[in-house]
Amino acid sequence: MSEFFSTYGSLIVSMVLGALLGLSLYLPLMTGQLSLASPGFYALGGYIAAILSTKVFNQSSHEFSIFYLLLEMGIAGIVCGLLGIAVGIPTLRLRGIYLAIATIAFGEVLRVVSLNLEITGGAVGIFGIPQPFPNQISYLWVALPLLIVSMLILYRLERIRVGRAFIAIREDELVAGAMGVNPTYYKILAFTLGAILAGVVGAISAHFLNTWNARQGTFDASIIYLTFVLIGGSRTFVGPVLGGIVFTALPEILRNLAQTNGLPDWLAHFLQDGRLIIFGLLIVTGTIFFPQGIVTPNIFNIFNIFTRKSKKI
Amino acid sequence: MELILQELLNGLSIGSVYAIFALGYTLVYSILGIINLAHGAIFTLGAYFTYTLMGGSFGFNGLLANAAIPVKLPFFLALILGSMLAGLVGVLVERIAFQPLRRQSADPLLTVVSSLGVAVVLVNLIQYLVGAESYTFPANTFGNIPPAFNFGNPDHPIPIRSVQIIIFAVSAVFVLLLTYFINLTKYGKAIQAIAEDAVTASLLGINTDRLTMLTFFISSFLAGLAGTLVASSVSIPGPYFGIAFGLRGLAVVVLGGLGSIPGAVLGGLVIGLVEAFVPGEFSGYKDAVAFAILFIMLVVRPQGLLGKQFVQKV
Repeated sequence: MSEFFSTYGSLIVSMVLGALLGLSLYLPLMTGQLSLASPGFYALGGYIAAILSTKVFNQSSHEFSIFYLLLEMGIAGIVCGLLGIAVGIPTLRLRGIYLAIATIAFGEVLRVVSLNLEITGGAVGIFGIPQPFPNQISYLWVALPLLIVSMLILYRLERIRVGRAFIAIREDELVAGAMGVNPTYYKILAFTLGAILAGVVGAISAHFLNTWNARQGTFDASIIYLTFVLIGGSRTFVGPVLGGIVFTALPEILRNLAQTNGLPDWLAHFLQDGRLIIFGLLIVTGTIFFPQGIVTPNIFNIFNIFTRKSKKI
Repeated sequence: MELILQELLNGLSIGSVYAIFALGYTLVYSILGIINLAHGAIFTLGAYFTYTLMGGSFGFNGLLANAAIPVKLPFFLALILGSMLAGLVGVLVERIAFQPLRRQSADPLLTVVSSLGVAVVLVNLIQYLVGAESYTFPANTFGNIPPAFNFGNPDHPIPIRSVQIIIFAVSAVFVLLLTYFINLTKYGKAIQAIAEDAVTASLLGINTDRLTMLTFFISSFLAGLAGTLVASSVSIPGPYFGIAFGLRGLAVVVLGGLGSIPGAVLGGLVIGLVEAFVPGEFSGYKDAVAFAILFIMLVVRPQGLLGKQFVQKV
């Protein structure tokens, strides 16, 4: 068992973190807003943790305390939340494609700024981030409770007034507005919750990866996280969680598949190096055949896939 | 003074490439109401096509290691052919990734996501086939013209790289051609009619499917052209270079106004000039300038400089 954990420990933690990132993208999508800002907040949260732990909290020579990690997660969440509100108020007046473009721009500005500032270590980034745990699998002590709590919150959220308001806005913003739901308020709320979650996950990831640089929040990253949600399922929180877990493990699965005996050479080679091509193909076929993702609230009624009329994210 | 003139011409040259690139975005947006995020990948593809057609060989990474075609075409022929190949890829992308969604009358955002998927596939396919190293066009790409012209007098030289003049000239020619095509030919008018109202246009006997394909061909042709021009001025830094350029192209179309052809040209020139005049000490932030403009524009005037105010209908 311990051998299993030492081999796959880091993968298991990555899978949990992937599920959390999927949730952070799912939150704005609950209100129908395609926001690609999550990787930006994720990178910001990571930088906050990396800078605090290497420059501020690192006086003592012995092991880095876990309470500092929790404190950093809190600070990252608060900063990302405030920034989320500040970015959300002007951009969420925009609809559809304009919001997606604005959030891409936000991420790119953050990336360029972090590449050029001294405190973020420029292109090299920050490395040697102190470790609060003796090994990688122990990060589950933080990541798993966070995932469970987030899932519980989202489970409740989908069933209370706020969540129903989110879904009403997703289905039709004008009608929701006419029914007395304040679309701007709820859209900003969903966007900010997503930002907070992404920031907190970033803080964990910075410690987990031991190094942090501007590559963490790129456009590519946002596409991969988007796959988690869109292929996993954008109608229930279970979708992004499963999507995050499966798609984070996918490269590893493909690598093992490539090593199966008897595969032709080109196929084995493709499975190993063509991972992102497969990702892209999944996105294209997924949007065409499963517009709501694979896990939908009525997953047990499979035949709905063929009779469903409305096609929305 | 010399420096200002030089920066001005630099800005105009890159700005004109932004303009033809953004025209591709705007054409597709005006008839389908979607942003084709695979546009940046097609831009990259165009550069690679032209490089191949000019007889360039590839490095030892990737599947096509050290491959090269036996002919060496002159630059301008390779430019046109390479861009046409990019255009054909665009048509293929439309068929595979966009048309099924249009048939289902899906949410436009789904189409955006699908185009993202196409971008991921194309970029990684390039990397898979020819590796991630950078390729430079041969030194005598443009034949035997001097690398720079002097626009000042012999005492105060104002050297301008000839490649920049060529870029500006080629872009200007294609902007004029496109303006002519859209406004003064039957097909151009049909495309305008589809942009106005696709259903009415098809009722009036316009083959919307075929013209959508034509629009995608033109749009991707322009992307391939822009890609080759940028690559011929610097190099092809790798499969990902179109993605960053594609994102900056978004800033151009939003600045000019989504769906507006003069807006795309104006936006391209403005962003090119602004980027050229970023002072040297802030050059690291040059990449962020376009996005900062984009962000401000979306907040202040989302319809862009020359765009129409959009009205939301139930």
